[in-house]
Amino acid sequence: MVKIYIDDREYDVPAGMNLVDAAKWHADNDIPVFCYHPKMEPVGMCRMCLVQQGAIEKDRATGEVVLDEHGQPKVRWMPKLQTACTQRVTDGMVIRTNTAEVDQARQNVIEFLLTSHPLDCPICDKGGECPLQNLTMEHGPGMSRMQFQDKQHLDKHVPLGDLIYLDEERCIQCARCVRFQDELVGDDVLAFHERGRRLQIITNSNPGFDTYFSGNTTDICPVGALTTADFRFGARPWELTEVPSIDPFDAAGSNISLSIRLDRDFGGKAMIKRVMPRQNESVNEIWISDKARFGHHFTRSENRAQSPMIRNANGQLMQTTWEEALKSVASILKAAGKDVAAIAGSQMSNEDLWALREVMSAVGSTRLGAWPITHAGADLVAQVGVGVGSNLGDLGKGDAVLIIASDLEEEVPIWRLRLKLAKERGVFLAVANARHTRMEDFATACLRYDYGMAAHFLSNLRAENPDLAQQLAQANNLIILTGAEGLSLDGSRALMQAAANFLIETGHVGKPNNGLLSTFPGPNGMGQYYMGFTPENTQDIMINPPKVLIVAQADLYHDDPSASQWVHEVETVINLTLFADETLSHEAHTILPIQSFAERDGTFTNGERRVQRFYTAQGPIADALPAWQVLSRLGEKLGRGKAKLSAATVMADIAKNVPAFAGVTYKEISNVKRQFPDVGGRDLYYGGTAYQNRGGLGVQLKTTAESGEAINTAPVELVNAPRSQAGQMLIVPTTVLYNRERTFLPSALMHPRVMMPYAEINSADAAKLGIKSGDVVEIVADTMRVRVKAHVNGGAPEGSIVLPRHLTTEAVPMTMTLGRVSKVD
Amino acid sequence: MNVIKGFATTFKHVLEESVTLQYPEQVRPFQQRYKGRHHLRRYDNGLEKCIGCSLCAASCPADAIWVEAAENSDEERYSPGERYAKTYEINMLRCIFCGYCEDACPTQAIELGHEHQLSFTDRRDVIFTKEMLIDPVPAGGQDTPQQVAPGAFNRSIPDMENPK
Amino acid sequence: MKHILFREHEVENIRELDVYVNNAGYAGLKKALGMTPDEVINTVKASGLRGRGGAGFPTGVKWSFIPKNEPVKYVAVNADESEPGTFKDRQIMENNPHQLIEGALICAYAIQAKAVYIYLRGEFWDLATQLDQCIEEARKAGYLGQNILGSTYSCEVYTHLGAGAYICGEESALLNSLEGKLGQPRVRPPFPAQKGGGLYGEPTVVNNVETLANVPFILYEGPEAFRAFGTEKSPGTKVFCVSGNVVKPGNYELPLGITFRELIYDHAGGIPDGRGIKGILPSGASGPIVPATDEVLDTPLTYEDMDKIGTVLGSASVIVLDDSIDIAWAASKMAKFFKHESCGKCTPCREGTYWIDKVLDRIITGDGAPSDVDLILNVAKNMQGVTLCALGDFAANPIIATIKHFPDEFKRYVDPALKQEKKAVAAPKRAGGAAQGRAGRGTEKTGLVPAGD
Repeated sequence: MVKIYIDDREYDVPAGMNLVDAAKWHADNDIPVFCYHPKMEPVGMCRMCLVQQGAIEKDRATGEVVLDEHGQPKVRWMPKLQTACTQRVTDGMVIRTNTAEVDQARQNVIEFLLTSHPLDCPICDKGGECPLQNLTMEHGPGMSRMQFQDKQHLDKHVPLGDLIYLDEERCIQCARCVRFQDELVGDDVLAFHERGRRLQIITNSNPGFDTYFSGNTTDICPVGALTTADFRFGARPWELTEVPSIDPFDAAGSNISLSIRLDRDFGGKAMIKRVMPRQNESVNEIWISDKARFGHHFTRSENRAQSPMIRNANGQLMQTTWEEALKSVASILKAAGKDVAAIAGSQMSNEDLWALREVMSAVGSTRLGAWPITHAGADLVAQVGVGVGSNLGDLGKGDAVLIIASDLEEEVPIWRLRLKLAKERGVFLAVANARHTRMEDFATACLRYDYGMAAHFLSNLRAENPDLAQQLAQANNLIILTGAEGLSLDGSRALMQAAANFLIETGHVGKPNNGLLSTFPGPNGMGQYYMGFTPENTQDIMINPPKVLIVAQADLYHDDPSASQWVHEVETVINLTLFADETLSHEAHTILPIQSFAERDGTFTNGERRVQRFYTAQGPIADALPAWQVLSRLGEKLGRGKAKLSAATVMADIAKNVPAFAGVTYKEISNVKRQFPDVGGRDLYYGGTAYQNRGGLGVQLKTTAESGEAINTAPVELVNAPRSQAGQMLIVPTTVLYNRERTFLPSALMHPRVMMPYAEINSADAAKLGIKSGDVVEIVADTMRVRVKAHVNGGAPEGSIVLPRHLTTEAVPMTMTLGRVSKVD
Repeated sequence: MNVIKGFATTFKHVLEESVTLQYPEQVRPFQQRYKGRHHLRRYDNGLEKCIGCSLCAASCPADAIWVEAAENSDEERYSPGERYAKTYEINMLRCIFCGYCEDACPTQAIELGHEHQLSFTDRRDVIFTKEMLIDPVPAGGQDTPQQVAPGAFNRSIPDMENPK
Repeated sequence: MKHILFREHEVENIRELDVYVNNAGYAGLKKALGMTPDEVINTVKASGLRGRGGAGFPTGVKWSFIPKNEPVKYVAVNADESEPGTFKDRQIMENNPHQLIEGALICAYAIQAKAVYIYLRGEFWDLATQLDQCIEEARKAGYLGQNILGSTYSCEVYTHLGAGAYICGEESALLNSLEGKLGQPRVRPPFPAQKGGGLYGEPTVVNNVETLANVPFILYEGPEAFRAFGTEKSPGTKVFCVSGNVVKPGNYELPLGITFRELIYDHAGGIPDGRGIKGILPSGASGPIVPATDEVLDTPLTYEDMDKIGTVLGSASVIVLDDSIDIAWAASKMAKFFKHESCGKCTPCREGTYWIDKVLDRIITGDGAPSDVDLILNVAKNMQGVTLCALGDFAANPIIATIKHFPDEFKRYVDPALKQEKKAVAAPKRAGGAAQGRAGRGTEKTGLVPAGD
């Protein structure tokens, strides 16, 4: 800590802290800024943060403070005003922010900026939460000296890409967007063009502004120069109500805010107008991926299920009331005896899953399946996952991260962003996969193994890659982040066990920033495990289909090409679903419409086992109810006691019955504390328009390793992966962020960014099969038959076909399999 | 005597000009500044002055105004610039005719006129929609949405005046 | 020896390597390699050589800032010569290229740099080709590359062409441009000499062509020989680029300390048609203009004396404006130049240059009001001292200095009483005119250094 003086008051601040940050955090003194952003390196270009700076004079020989004639320490002032953003605090630094000279300088900069800024505020999306507006009110001259005809007129409608529009007139050339893309994301797709007053932002990628994080630039833009295609003119910021929520798409569980407003076109109900990041420095800082930001349209899809439906004697689905539907389901369940199973998707909240489990207990069944069945080993994450208090943002020099069998940018983009930054802070970042993934561009070390051999690779790490093994073992902190690319479910379990063993053996468990992470699909992969739903159970259900199957928010037919076969053997399917048009609806006996994350309360448990809460935001769709409510009422009919009235009481039940959740309450999950840097607070000009966290920072569940129990390694049951042979090739299903899943497809503005169905084929294989890039090929495996475009671009290793899931309308296998490829003429 | 005095007073007043107007047959002339029901104005070419900025709604002390905006295009243009009011409603039961909306309007699109005969038999009729509030298309103008030459109307706010 | 830099006047074809070598070429380098790097730096310090690019910072001191323990260091030669009215580096590189290469190598040896980058402005593409040939010849002869002259020291020299921006003459913008980035100045500290501030983040010395071309002489002849020229605080010779309204515009290598009067009348042949001088721009467009009073004309051209008359020596590109020049028009010309060349990074410079140009345009077309002059003066003052690099100050200079010294020239345009009269007088007579210089390729007769060495 060092002593600095701001406006003649003394403060103790950590040495080397940025002066703007220090003044704001420790002295509550808002030094105005435009170009400076607490997450980025200062560039000192807007000149708004000018302050008078000096230093307490010390005698060179003795090091004593020199006193003036009044006995006060003598201050040596710098001849010119200094930009605060480029200063790091040092002992004895003296700052004045309230002198006439500083005021004048601020006023001048505002005046300069306004000479080229249009008077657009009434129609500007930023108007009302605009740093330039705020600072003009606070520091501006209040009067113009610029003649109107001298103003520069530029293009006001420049689409930088499909998602972001640029208004050239409004831009104040602060370069926050350019620097965000260059420094933080590492996709340098934006740049300055020209110079002087002609300086403009351009995109140099094709398609324009090609990155998964573009929306964040609109948050940090200190004016309304960058706007999103989603929100443009949607509402004025002051008309919006902010509702805290959680990104429903991936294991990171990014904290988001749903900005809602009543809408005529939505029946006068509250409607999500935009999705904004909500600060949680341990989870997503102040960033969210474009999928989280623009993917909310599925909540208002016209295909949303409206009312409960029961199939009548003629086999037709008929609309009915909730009471009738639940009565019917209860009698079906009672009649089935114990031959009942449930499959729950990973967008189900903890409360939904618990209520489903209660229903299953009521009928005496323990067949709780998790969907999809790609990633195994959630139990190992519960044992040796990253410790409580983990934060990817804390990783630095001396720490190591191994990413294996995952295409992290496509699976969990926020982790990819934060690990890229961790690498730049000195983390040893190793990426192992059978093919090149984007993460390798940011890695310290890139490793290759053959598809299916991830567990072998990790088990034999010490023998075959002693240097890497040593690097990882000796790291102060080690996180192993696994995916399931190119693995069967058993293979995934083997990989998780191998990873857990390595962590246990090297002592990297039971501590913050040490342990296992996995890219479970959906926002609540860990919640599924804690509530007793496992993919192994699902596998069993698929092999031995029950008489009655409850399918909750799982898109079986769209995910699994074999679904039509095994679901057919189920006598009665009860489907809790968001969408009425799921293929499963043709099979289902009962359809129970449920609410999406946006319409009700609940919690998700993210990949780091952080239980985080989302709140009711959007108006409900017709008769749909929260799944926990439906299931709780069903439970009542099955004799499980009175139905629960709120999600919070379900959580109370969970806390009582699930050991890991002991003590977890909504109140605790909703606790917030002040986070550095201060974003979205009283002022809006410092860190952008990301929202301050008022909804809760969540509670991280303890791992078994942390509760003091002995954790032992277990033998890795290596699975022999299929090998390509005799015309058969490995079909490797992979994940792409922008796909045609039912929860993403309704976001029409993203359609230009969703790839046409394709498969990557190695050039050697392609030559053998006479396939060229762009040819249409047919891939046949087991129950799957799809036609896609071939990409011969070096992306796939020899003998394998990389086939992204959820791009085709037909289902692609969830795990690796053998198949044949042929060119379609 | 007193009776006569009383009648005299009465007769005197009978001959005076009457103060009471026979409303609604007779209507008192309005002061120019009288604030009656609102009008949404148009430019001479028929484009709507309202740009859907919602500042009227923000300034409304009675929360009587509801605006939903949408984006203009040159093919389908309602107002100059990028933004127009897709929905514009005033709840006349809430309105207190204070005129703040008029003051807040950056394009002088909303003006309080002289019409004051606002009585209703159904609460739902009290919500005046954009169609009810907007002026008829002036002679020589064209109704909205208009198809216009690209780039002809790219500014929402009329030009500012130079500093004096 | 009469010239230190323009030795082509004494030795014909000195641009050829063998001629250069036969005339003590690369002898300075040979001598330097026999000394320790510190001794070389001390020798340069002792000579009192100051940077010729404009700021006049002592060269030896600059070199001594380079940390000794960093493994990778660079030398960047600033050959971006882009100040209006400056055309000296070009003549050096055209006619005496090996002296620059030798100087750069001595500098590189002194700081133990592994590579020298000569950053040329984009328009110097022909010079770059020529320099590349010289570098190749020198490499073949063993003056650069691996184990220079049999020593253990190795260093490479490369040329790099910019894309034509004034701002790239500013050292940190030059480094950005050299790295392939947008030519915008960097935040300092860290300074180029510090780790993190130089080329690719490594400590870097950035010196002007003329500065480095002086170094072989200092090494070979010794610092005392160098100090024989010039004054105590401003030793050595300086190339004065004289342009504007003079009879013989061109480059004149003269000892520092001669006066404007000597330079203009004795060397540059005085003013055409015997007209009077109105003002002098001593350092292109970026230095404040001075009125041509007797006091100014008799001021010695040194770094310290220029300060006294409220201007700078800068790169010594002297533009002479005779009494036919309309100063308001000249100011507008310069404002246009800075508007065009501001990089756009800092708000005051980006917006200020644009605004001033607009208002000045209004003034000289006769549409301005008296308050407009105060407005641009105020705007210019608001630009001063608040920008990352000096361009903000430079851009304000032409406005502040012209209004200060020649208020009437502006009054003519804005005063309602004088306006009518003004409209009758046509706009500036001279096409081309002041800020452009007509010095051509520097082949004009050059001044003589007093015989003494």
